[in-house]
Amino acid sequence: MDMESTNGQTVYHIKKGPDGTLLSIEHFDLWYGETQALFDVTMTVEKGFVTALIGPSGCGKSTLLRSINRMNDLISGLKTDGKIVLGDTDIYGPNVDVIGLRKTMGMVFQKPNPFPMSIADNVSYPLRVDGIRNRKVLEETVYNALVHAALWDEVKDRLRDNALGLSGGQQQRLCIARAIAADPEVLLMDEPCSALDPVATAKIEDLIDELRGRYTIIIVTHNMQQAARVSDNTAFMYLGKLIEYGRTSTIFTNPKVDRTRLYVTGRFG
Amino acid sequence: MQQTESQYKRPKETRRSVLIADKVADKTITIGGALVIAAVLGMMVFLVLKVVPLFEGGAVQSHREYSLEMPGSRTLALAIDDLKTIAVRVSEDGRITAWHVDSGSPLESPRFDLQGKQVTAFSQCIDQRHMAFGFFDGSVRFASVQFKTEILTPEGLPAGLKELSAGDKSDGRAIYSIIPGNQVRKTWIEVELEEPIQASASNSPIIALDYRLKHFGERPSKTLAAIDRQLVGVAMRVESKLNLFTRKTTLAVDKAELPALPAGTAVTHALVDEGANSVYFVDKSGTVYRFNTRGLEEPFLAEVLRVTPSGVDVNVFSFLVGESSIVVGGSDGSVNIFFLLNRPDAAAQDSLTLVKTRTFAPQPAAIVGFSPSEQSKTFATLDASGGIRVRHATSERTLVSVRESGMPRSDLAGMIVLAPRVDGLLALGNPITADFWGLSIPHPETSLRTLFGKVWYEGYPEPTYTWQSTGATEAFEPKISLVPLIFGTLKATFYSLLFAIPVALLAAIYTSEFLDPDLRGKIKPAIEVMASIPSVVLGFVAALVLAPVVETWIAAVLLVFVVVPMSLVLAAYLWQLVPPPIALRMEGIPKFLFMLSVVCLAMFTAYHVGPVFEDLFFDGNFKAWLNRDRGAAAPFWFLALLPVSAVAVSTGLSRLFGQRFNRYIRTLQPFPAALADLGRWLAVAGGTLAASYIMALVLQGIGIDPRSSVVGTYVQRNTLVVGFAMGFAVIPIIYTLADDALNSVPDHLRSASLGCGATIWQTTIWVILPTAISGVFSAVMIGMGRAVGETMILVMSAGNTPLLDLNIFNGLRALSANIAVELPEAPKDDTLYRVLFLTGLVLFAMTFVINTIAEMVRLHFRKRSMQL
Repeated sequence: MDMESTNGQTVYHIKKGPDGTLLSIEHFDLWYGETQALFDVTMTVEKGFVTALIGPSGCGKSTLLRSINRMNDLISGLKTDGKIVLGDTDIYGPNVDVIGLRKTMGMVFQKPNPFPMSIADNVSYPLRVDGIRNRKVLEETVYNALVHAALWDEVKDRLRDNALGLSGGQQQRLCIARAIAADPEVLLMDEPCSALDPVATAKIEDLIDELRGRYTIIIVTHNMQQAARVSDNTAFMYLGKLIEYGRTSTIFTNPKVDRTRLYVTGRFG
Repeated sequence: MQQTESQYKRPKETRRSVLIADKVADKTITIGGALVIAAVLGMMVFLVLKVVPLFEGGAVQSHREYSLEMPGSRTLALAIDDLKTIAVRVSEDGRITAWHVDSGSPLESPRFDLQGKQVTAFSQCIDQRHMAFGFFDGSVRFASVQFKTEILTPEGLPAGLKELSAGDKSDGRAIYSIIPGNQVRKTWIEVELEEPIQASASNSPIIALDYRLKHFGERPSKTLAAIDRQLVGVAMRVESKLNLFTRKTTLAVDKAELPALPAGTAVTHALVDEGANSVYFVDKSGTVYRFNTRGLEEPFLAEVLRVTPSGVDVNVFSFLVGESSIVVGGSDGSVNIFFLLNRPDAAAQDSLTLVKTRTFAPQPAAIVGFSPSEQSKTFATLDASGGIRVRHATSERTLVSVRESGMPRSDLAGMIVLAPRVDGLLALGNPITADFWGLSIPHPETSLRTLFGKVWYEGYPEPTYTWQSTGATEAFEPKISLVPLIFGTLKATFYSLLFAIPVALLAAIYTSEFLDPDLRGKIKPAIEVMASIPSVVLGFVAALVLAPVVETWIAAVLLVFVVVPMSLVLAAYLWQLVPPPIALRMEGIPKFLFMLSVVCLAMFTAYHVGPVFEDLFFDGNFKAWLNRDRGAAAPFWFLALLPVSAVAVSTGLSRLFGQRFNRYIRTLQPFPAALADLGRWLAVAGGTLAASYIMALVLQGIGIDPRSSVVGTYVQRNTLVVGFAMGFAVIPIIYTLADDALNSVPDHLRSASLGCGATIWQTTIWVILPTAISGVFSAVMIGMGRAVGETMILVMSAGNTPLLDLNIFNGLRALSANIAVELPEAPKDDTLYRVLFLTGLVLFAMTFVINTIAEMVRLHFRKRSMQL
């Protein structure tokens, strides 16, 4: 399906930056009121790769993730400094259409959060928000998104049922399908498996593996094994600072910083 | 963690005091809860108990039967005194028989000295005391039997009294009754017979007679209708004038001779009203000759009609108290009531006609006796087989069947009389046997039909739902339909919710979803303070300040409903033109102040444009327009249809051009995009105006006029004012509950929707509102419950006119206000008193039903979103 022709989403058509980067975070600081949560974070995200953000609780990895699609805007007293450049646009620039920005980034949250409506309506929500009413387009999108989210076979007979009737793992895959349906460039995943059992977690991990290459995925996770299994690049954060960022294999086998080594080997955290 | 050694061993068993406290709390809560439930149920039971007697009709409480020594001459009249002490019989020869009601002991009594003249017609007034004799020589004599009473002390009792029954003694002439307070009441009879007046010009025997007495203070006015054997009728008004100097009474007689009836008419009944406006003569076979005798100047035969089917004789033809209802008893046992009503299409010359309005359950044999009550619309009928029914005219109900019909004794068909307070009934057989029944009929006028159905009230051209509980005289017929009150409650609730729901819900959405949380924290409590304004203050302000203001600037007030929303939307579009960096800095309080000033500006504009608007739309005078004095219907339809056409035009246009326009607007820079958006809005607004105007013209063309239905004559204290004032009471409740409901929608749903690229408005409409709908619905229903039960605002500002009228500019009376307004009029255990309890019960039932529906719908919605 070609989103280009149906909703005319052209403002944020993302060009690949130099050396394959899609997103670059440059000297990014963030304050919640008087408390600084992120300190001078600088990193680049490569297109089509899975990038994992790891670190102990409260290290700012979720804050960083939510800064990328400006979901933090809802918090009062928020201040930022530095840049986050998507393609060639600074998303904290003065003329940014935040709503349009979010349409280019799908987001999956820690807790599965389907809307209290039918499965099909959940998946087609991003399109309906855009004013698309063409039933054929909607049905096709629902089908593709559910297939890509590996959920189609389980729900194809009950697309009109309430999404809240699904199991936790199914709900989370539905949320991924909903994120995919908007045809985003970037998928932001905020600990997508933390509320799920091991079987459901394995399914989500397989799904992430399949989506690799098609979408640029940034995933926050608590689970070191998961980061090692699914990601290409890993960033280790601690107390709001980016400590080390590199290829996952390097971070897990041969980290440069001592604290990273202690963390990935489970001796602190 | 390192385990630290400690000497202290914590006891592991639960302490006794904790167990006791737990038990005490458990029991206290159980008892408290049970008491609350019991109190609510008790309240319900209490209300029902208070109401039940309304539907119980009446009962016979005692029965006495006596055989009396009475002169053989025919009985003309019976009478009983107010306290059921003495009963009196007047016979054809002028003799009076009196006896003690409880024991049947005869009393010595005076007699009318008729000088041996033969009585050929007789009439007794509704007060039972006054009567008129018609004689063979064409003369008429007025007479009266007066029951005199005097309160004595026990010392004043004469010696040698005979004990008649418990508490009653007699000296053979008077009855001495011991009454509470150690006093004695003496009751005796006095009679008076006036000098003859010649009624028949030809000195022919009088064959039918009717006599009405009206007390104008010191000047009694007697009205008489009589007809002689020549079939010439006469209507007379006799006034006795007392000369203040000479103390002499002179008679002033106004007399009108009526055209003769056709020969061969067997007149059995005559009837005349107090004012001598109409005279009726009834033929035995059921033909009524009605003469219009207004002013006694030019009487003419106005109408001749049958009141019974052919073959059925008229045995009773008589007024009830108030002289609006004519009771017709037929030889087939039927009992009907006729009203003399104004019917412009009637065949009669004076466009009045007798209309049968009420039908009663027939009795198995011919109706032969009738007795009306002087105090209410209750009357008793006797049939030829001895059956006696006590009935009520308004409720068309048989209250008591005093004696069953069908006795094989035709000797029971004599004469009946109701005790003046409708607490007893005396029946005289033929030949003489006497029965006296003590009756208890506390609430004769209530039935499900009079309370909830349409009733054809006296003097009304058609059956109506009317509430008018008390009147000036005893002849007044209480109208106790609860329908106008229920309607008033619903009308007040509807109009106040029409105003309150949009305002409250939009405010809740605004503070919960759009407003900066800090500001919300300040505004929400401020609105909640509104809920604590006592409703009496709101009602007072509404009645004394708001109502006159609205009346004076009604056009401006109406205009506000159009101008304020339009200017808010326009301001929102203009806000888009502000460059984003500035707009971002202006979020929060500055933006809020901007909106506030827009609202103020809109009101200011409406105030100044009001007169122009009135000129343009309502021909310069809105109230005259409402009275249909001027102007056409279209301008109003234009205004009323604006919201509908706005919705239609905007959805229509967005269906047609929406997607193309959105795609186009995305290619633009923010400022031109905002301009284009504004242009689109202006196009929608223009289209709305045009569509509304066309529809208004069409409606006017078809001839549908809103006046005298949803709008109409302007009354100062009207439903619009009530809507405002009640809105003030209801808005804070709906607002605060709806805001809580919206706010309690988990944030992860908000994030999910915003993460999908939805705007806050889209998120609100598509996700937040559907999820919170159970709470929002409860908020609305609780607001509705408040509106239904609201009293003081309605008492003070609704005008309290119990009307069935949709007109928003007219007043209303609600159930709750009715209780407050009528309470001072209702003595304990009176009918009105119990009807007010019924009003309370109906109100209780209404709020109960509303709350139950609310709860059911809420649970239904909640089941859907429970797993969140």
